[in-house]
Amino acid sequence: MRDGDREDLELHRRLTSGDRAAFDELYHRYAGPAYGLALRVTGQQILAQDVVHDAFLALWRAPEAYDAARGPFRTFFLALVHHRAVDLVRRESRLRARSERAANLEPLVGEDPADAIAEESYLGVRRKEVREALAALPPEQRQVLEMAYFGGKTQVQISDELGIPLGTVKTRTFAAMRKLRTALEDTG
Amino acid sequence: MTDHEAIQELLAGYVLRSLSGEDAAEADRILTDHVPGCDECRATLDAFQAVAGDLALGAPAAAPPDTLRARLRKELEPRAPSRWNAGRIVAIAASVVVVVGVGAVALTRGGGGLANGQLARADLQDVTKAAVMSDATHQPLGQATEISAPATEKLYIYGTGIPLPPTGNVYRLWAGSPDQPRYIGDFLPTDDGTLLLEVMLPASSVGALFVTVEPEGSAPGQPGDVVWDTAA
Repeated sequence: MRDGDREDLELHRRLTSGDRAAFDELYHRYAGPAYGLALRVTGQQILAQDVVHDAFLALWRAPEAYDAARGPFRTFFLALVHHRAVDLVRRESRLRARSERAANLEPLVGEDPADAIAEESYLGVRRKEVREALAALPPEQRQVLEMAYFGGKTQVQISDELGIPLGTVKTRTFAAMRKLRTALEDTG
Repeated sequence: MTDHEAIQELLAGYVLRSLSGEDAAEADRILTDHVPGCDECRATLDAFQAVAGDLALGAPAAAPPDTLRARLRKELEPRAPSRWNAGRIVAIAASVVVVVGVGAVALTRGGGGLANGQLARADLQDVTKAAVMSDATHQPLGQATEISAPATEKLYIYGTGIPLPPTGNVYRLWAGSPDQPRYIGDFLPTDDGTLLLEVMLPASSVGALFVTVEPEGSAPGQPGDVVWDTAA
């Protein structure tokens, strides 16, 4: 386990006893990645704020929802943010055009943005590993994965948009997830 | 492709939140029926969920506005010991396992909720999942608790220590008011007093709930005396 993950575990333990300082530290660590993700998925600052707000409030109110036996706190919390962002985009059909625009921003791979904020070094290391793992995917697999994850699209929508069979979308997604699993487990 | 691979292909779509229609329903089914008992698929699910969490880092981090932190600070109420802490959930799970083991969860059949599909025994995991959602509301319904999760439109009724109604009678759940009742279904607690029910209607369409005690098998006409309600 990385030091950063170990520190997160301790912060989470304190959070379960209502420790606000632990909450503040987790906010300091994860507000940036969470807001960046929510912004990417929803394409709107106001909505991204709502997503991050709701995710942190849910964490405060029900920290026991995280089960340390099932993985690092980092992946639990960011997956929570992702679910909320995607659910919001789906609920708000009026956002569809905006979310498409957001999802079709310059491709993530090849992108080397100076992230808008400084972050904990261990998160920076993981971010680099994730980007490298994404870059190593065959383009057709990366495309369906990014449309699903960052575009908030269903596999049926992806099939329609790309004009490929639904089965192909499923196969490519599965292949991409297996490769990412291997790549990220090796480095995690 | 093996059966396990077909299931894991579905799990890949599930963790990305990209399933819909029949695939989503099938994923719900295998998550309940298959995954809990299959080490390989459970490990795959956990690993895919970790990947889905890490994928967030594929998007550039961005600084949220300071107003967000201020807004959160205002809303961080001091937390009372959670009614849904892990110990309590385990305790409920244990009681439900015992009950399921003897098949004692009894919803009346004749003229009851199961017949019209509006009331069913809830899955414990679903109830706990709904209970910890940020927008979930918990309100007393007599001796039980009504748990409503607006985001998912789910509505559950949970309770322990619920007494059985007099012999030959059932509890009857209604929406609305005694003057304008809408029949939902009949139910009985388990022998150890556990209630774990799902109202099979969108939460936002239900409104206030109340419960009466009625003769088992009777037609749901005019409600009798109210024994529990959400307004109390």
